[in-house]
Amino acid sequence: MQLVKVTVPHIGNTYLAVKALFNGLGIEYIMPEFNNKDALEIGAKYAPEEICLPFKIMLGNLIQSFKAGADTAIIPGSCGPCRYGEYCEIFKNTLKKMGCDIEIIVVDQPKDIGIKELLNRIGKISSESNKSRNEQLKAVYNAYKVTKLIDYIEGKSRYLAGYELEKGQFKKLLYDCKRDALACEKPLKMIEVLKKYKRSLKSIKIDKNRNPITISIIGEIYTILEPFSNLYVEDKLMDYGVSVKKEISPSWWVKDAALVPLKANSINIRRASKKYLPLYIGGHARECIGEAVLAEKNNMDGVIQIFPLGCMPEIVAKAILPKISKDKDFPIMSLVVDEMTGEAGYTTRIEAFIDLLERRKEKCII
Amino acid sequence: MRIGVPRGLLYYKYYPFINNFFNELGEEIVISQDTNRDILDLGVKFSVDDACLPVKIFHGHVASLKDKCDYVFIPRFMETDRGQSICPKFCGLPEMVKNSIPDMPKIITESIYGLSDKKLWDFSKKLGRKLNKNRKQIERAFIDSLNIQKSFDIGKNDKNYKVKIALVGHPYNIYDSFINMDIVKKLNEMNIGVITEEYVEKEDIDSEVNKLFKKPFWTFARNSYGFAAHVGHNKEVNGIIYISSFACGIDSVVIELIKDSLNDFPILVLKVDEQTGEAGVETRIEAFTDMLERRCS
Repeated sequence: MQLVKVTVPHIGNTYLAVKALFNGLGIEYIMPEFNNKDALEIGAKYAPEEICLPFKIMLGNLIQSFKAGADTAIIPGSCGPCRYGEYCEIFKNTLKKMGCDIEIIVVDQPKDIGIKELLNRIGKISSESNKSRNEQLKAVYNAYKVTKLIDYIEGKSRYLAGYELEKGQFKKLLYDCKRDALACEKPLKMIEVLKKYKRSLKSIKIDKNRNPITISIIGEIYTILEPFSNLYVEDKLMDYGVSVKKEISPSWWVKDAALVPLKANSINIRRASKKYLPLYIGGHARECIGEAVLAEKNNMDGVIQIFPLGCMPEIVAKAILPKISKDKDFPIMSLVVDEMTGEAGYTTRIEAFIDLLERRKEKCII
Repeated sequence: MRIGVPRGLLYYKYYPFINNFFNELGEEIVISQDTNRDILDLGVKFSVDDACLPVKIFHGHVASLKDKCDYVFIPRFMETDRGQSICPKFCGLPEMVKNSIPDMPKIITESIYGLSDKKLWDFSKKLGRKLNKNRKQIERAFIDSLNIQKSFDIGKNDKNYKVKIALVGHPYNIYDSFINMDIVKKLNEMNIGVITEEYVEKEDIDSEVNKLFKKPFWTFARNSYGFAAHVGHNKEVNGIIYISSFACGIDSVVIELIKDSLNDFPILVLKVDEQTGEAGVETRIEAFTDMLERRCS
């Protein structure tokens, strides 16, 4: 039997969990290169002109992985109304036209393709694994644990960065943590390393009396999770000594998806968004509105919304946000990213926004 | 009580139903003018700048109505069939309008979860209740309106032209002659016939769509793709003109699918937005039709 080499496009920190998962399953995993200008350039070259930024970057990932030897790609699917659900069809066509012979397995929700088809598709992957059913489940569990840990570490260190006594320590810890975790071969070892870094979060000295600027980041899930696509906005804010909060993370997504059948998912967001957008309209527009309202309620100083050019659900959200901003006297800025986004202009806008928040607080931090 | 009905988006497809429904319930309706420059300017002024042209124009229609009526009717298309939707902007349309245009009169809105008779009845029942009508009145108005809608045919299928093209795109781009700069008339004047998606059997559309790996979950995508692929494969037309609004998320996918499916069949994609100049569009159409004529002769 020929062994498959699996690849999965990058979305934020999920590569750690994916690595843990395939290691646990005993399947060879080829991680795409970390997102870089090349991936985007290749992606933008072959992708349809008006498709959104996540597609272009993900296509770049897949092509680079194919060149590195991958022959199967796994892509999570959805069924609209956001165009993410159509990605797989265009991936298939584009890659075929380019001569990349790579099999694409789409993991859709069971209600759209039927549970049988889903099991069939998952079966294609799990049949490659020579581990017992028990070990396979264990691998999935470990991967979830990795996601939770890295999300916790990332969230905490981004938030506490505004309070640190010596500048740059949390950023260093975060990057060390990601590097060391990626170097681990065995999932259990990875969890151990992550736990170690989780403990060492506490050893960094913070000044609790400080009152830093706090910003909540909301918007389209890919562009806020994948730092390359938003031009490392969180790192920039960290350098300015701003506390950043972000509700949405891969572990949030897993929890949310699992609770949907019980209608118990993100109750606080649904309640907060009721006045402005009472229905789910696709994508994460409702979450975006809810989080903006919650951020104001939690006394954050401002909100930054990030989405790729032409993102349909977020445009609806963008139309509603100014109203929230006006009703509650609360600063909200929308940033639109695509492959043409220039870093200088982007940074200027963020700096201007922070200046504004600063003046509202009447103190200077930069 | 005067109800304002904006002449935008899917009004072009469903106006017989909605006009008759309100009329039979004894409400006075005010319909906005045909789209024109002023309405477009109003729309651009009020709407969020990332929105597409048709949505901006819809905002313009609502803005032009806001001082002329007591209520504005804005339907919310959640689904057109099970698992079939339109665009997220249609789901959030009432919110977009409400939060973008200041001093709005009250909005009458109701969600539509399907275009089958039963789902439309659910929609009409709720809508009628909001207007304080009793069940009997609503039922009568609904049945009449539905019959009128069913006998209404907006599509176009020209005969007796040597060269024929398929006009593909969202209904409001095809039937709003301001958005598309009266392309049907222009083509007819150039002695070119036009066919629209209403003239292709549903089975033909389905059979083309079923060839796809992933079934499109947008109604427009389904119709546009199925129609274009069907007429292209069967050579029922000489070329295809696709009218697409700039930055339309659905079209970015569909156009790609059509191009993949039809390979080197002649396709002209006309992008429209609020800056589109008429001369440029004309030149492109002329060049395209010249090319078709040379291929045909």
